[in-house]
Amino acid sequence: MNWTEILAFTRGPLFQVALVIFVAGMLYRLVRVLMLGWQKDKVPAKGSKAVGVVKSFLKGLLIFPFIPWVKRTFTKNPVIYLAGGLFHLSLFVVLILGAAHMLVWKSLLGFGWWTLPLPIVDWMAAVGIVAMVALFINRLFNPVLKLLTGPAEWLNLAFVFLPMVSGYMLTHHLFFRYEVMFSIHMLTVDFLLIWIPLSRISHFMFYFFSRAIHGQEFGKRAVNP
Amino acid sequence: MKSVEAMNTFVQDTGGWVASQLEACTRCGMCAEACHFYQASGVPEYAPVWKMELLRRAYEQKFTLIGKVKVALGVDKAVSDQDLEEWSKYLYYACTVCNKCSMVCPMGIDIGSLIAEVRAGMAAAGVVPDDLMAAVNKQVEEGSPLGVTDDVFESRMEWVADEWEEDLPMDKKGADTLVVFSSIEIMKFPTNIAAIAKILNKAGENWTLSSKAREIVNFGFYEGSHEHTKMFLERVFDGAKELGVKKIVVTECGHAYDAIRWHAHNMMDVPDMEITHIVGLIGEYVDSGRIKLKAGALDNGKTYTFHDACKIQRKGGHINEPRQVMKILAPKSFKEMSPNREEAICCGGGGGVIAIKDADALRYQTFELKVAQVNQVGADTVVMSCSNCRLQYTDCVEHFNLDWKVAGLSQLVADSIMD
Ligand code: HEM
Ligand code: SF4
Ligand code: SF4
Repeated sequence: MNWTEILAFTRGPLFQVALVIFVAGMLYRLVRVLMLGWQKDKVPAKGSKAVGVVKSFLKGLLIFPFIPWVKRTFTKNPVIYLAGGLFHLSLFVVLILGAAHMLVWKSLLGFGWWTLPLPIVDWMAAVGIVAMVALFINRLFNPVLKLLTGPAEWLNLAFVFLPMVSGYMLTHHLFFRYEVMFSIHMLTVDFLLIWIPLSRISHFMFYFFSRAIHGQEFGKRAVNP
Repeated sequence: MKSVEAMNTFVQDTGGWVASQLEACTRCGMCAEACHFYQASGVPEYAPVWKMELLRRAYEQKFTLIGKVKVALGVDKAVSDQDLEEWSKYLYYACTVCNKCSMVCPMGIDIGSLIAEVRAGMAAAGVVPDDLMAAVNKQVEEGSPLGVTDDVFESRMEWVADEWEEDLPMDKKGADTLVVFSSIEIMKFPTNIAAIAKILNKAGENWTLSSKAREIVNFGFYEGSHEHTKMFLERVFDGAKELGVKKIVVTECGHAYDAIRWHAHNMMDVPDMEITHIVGLIGEYVDSGRIKLKAGALDNGKTYTFHDACKIQRKGGHINEPRQVMKILAPKSFKEMSPNREEAICCGGGGGVIAIKDADALRYQTFELKVAQVNQVGADTVVMSCSNCRLQYTDCVEHFNLDWKVAGLSQLVADSIMD
């Protein structure tokens, strides 16, 4: 097999298999949780649950840009906030607003959208990589994170880090030939897709549950979430 | 086996609500910075996420494929009796179930509730600290953890009525409002009882005490036992039903309010009546003009601040009323601590912690955060609406030899009511 064939394989059949595993795995996790049953909340509310949910999501989305009511924890744990926030922003910019990935979405979904100019996307990718290194170092030394981190957490970082670095090297034509780098990038992406439903990276799905619950709990008490 | 009991409880109580939140946790550790016990001591095991670790493991092992595979491969071990003993310390010594952590978690996980669920497992397994369990058993047998038996209740109330010359209606059929005090107030802060009686009488409330529902405190809720929590709630509801009241008012007690206002309806049949807190009622009275407070009554050159109780303010929703009152009483000399309101730092004595002797050192250490906060605003008097916080403050003021005064909000209101 030469590199062109390997690339074709990792972009083609392997990618499709990984996608199917990803979608099926996530659906399985979702259905499992939904099927556990939801007790109806019979407590009479003091305030509006709906308002609480809206505020909760706004806080969740804006937690990074220093909104006043998170300020005190921001100052307590700046690395995690800054690096974690920048890392996710970078993911969003590169995966959704970058032209290269938009085209992948287009081929999957059938429609595309406006994208950011390449230099911005490129900078954000670099920011994401640096942020991941910061998260990694933080995990090594923070006493609480040391307690919380096992093989699964290291693997999470690794599985996300590899596609980011290989993607960056790919766009900058670093070290290896284009086909080689592209193959490596696709291979790491395929692994990531398979890993997500097996791991806590699935948090992006359950995020919508937990933030909604948070909003309901605070909203019904008429307290700002 | 203790762990079997705990696991059964976890499994029974895990529905989508619990599971989706456990699934959402990214193990980022941010919640640690929210917890006053972690902040004060730096012990990593006091991180909120670590306190709910047993529940997560139980959930994974019982409900998920990955968890089962992990146990089979030896990556994770089944929850053991030793684990329970170890976690019992984290959960009862180093957590007041104040839910500050939930404000900080980027995923918004309601960590306090999940920790309460871990306590439910502990209660089922019987690994609750002895001091706390002794108080629970006392409440089961005598009706009160502080020995407020029928006779004691009656004589204390008669004494308060005499001493402060307030009318304290008892078992009054046809009353609209049942007022239930906590044993801390009955035994340690009787002035609170007189103060609240004065407020209700001045407002012209048609209220009563009940010799059956004489005690709002719920040590079963601290323990985490569903059975005991319900048993103690039942006593209050029975008394209320018997008198046919329309409203139950919880006095300056935090966790009891949490139990009866925000949990009872999901645990049992609750009679159709309004349940509120005395602070909420005071707010209503002031708004509607049923009581008039002397403006500026406390502007005497001293500085006042308000301590937010986790169960009455953050988890109870009565954040504005105390401020409304303080701004009338002390427009010039009321100062806010920082952080405050729903972001406030807990007193460190709630959740049953103050009842546990072995937790004393940690409890005092944690209170240093409050010392710093109060000193920062230079307050002479700290006002609060929870007797449990007040117990903690009074004890710590003595322990640290501080020159602050500690006051109940109802007391200040009663002292400043105009005729
Ligand atoms: C709705 C979308 C998402 C939300 C709200 C979200 C939220 C979070 C939060 C709050 C954390 C913990 C704190 C931090 O490190 O920033 C986190 C960690 C993490 N997230 Fe996300 N995330 C989302 C999507 C994703 C996606 C799509 C990926 C990867 C493909 C991802 C990968 C990670 C990784 C690897 C970590 C762990 C970082 C570490 O070890 O410290 N997230 N996420
Ligand atoms: S509920 Fe309060 S005391 Fe308990 S872990 Fe959370 S912040 Fe700490
Ligand atoms: S802050 Fe929330 S998501 Fe992060 S470790 Fe704590 S509970 Fe989990």
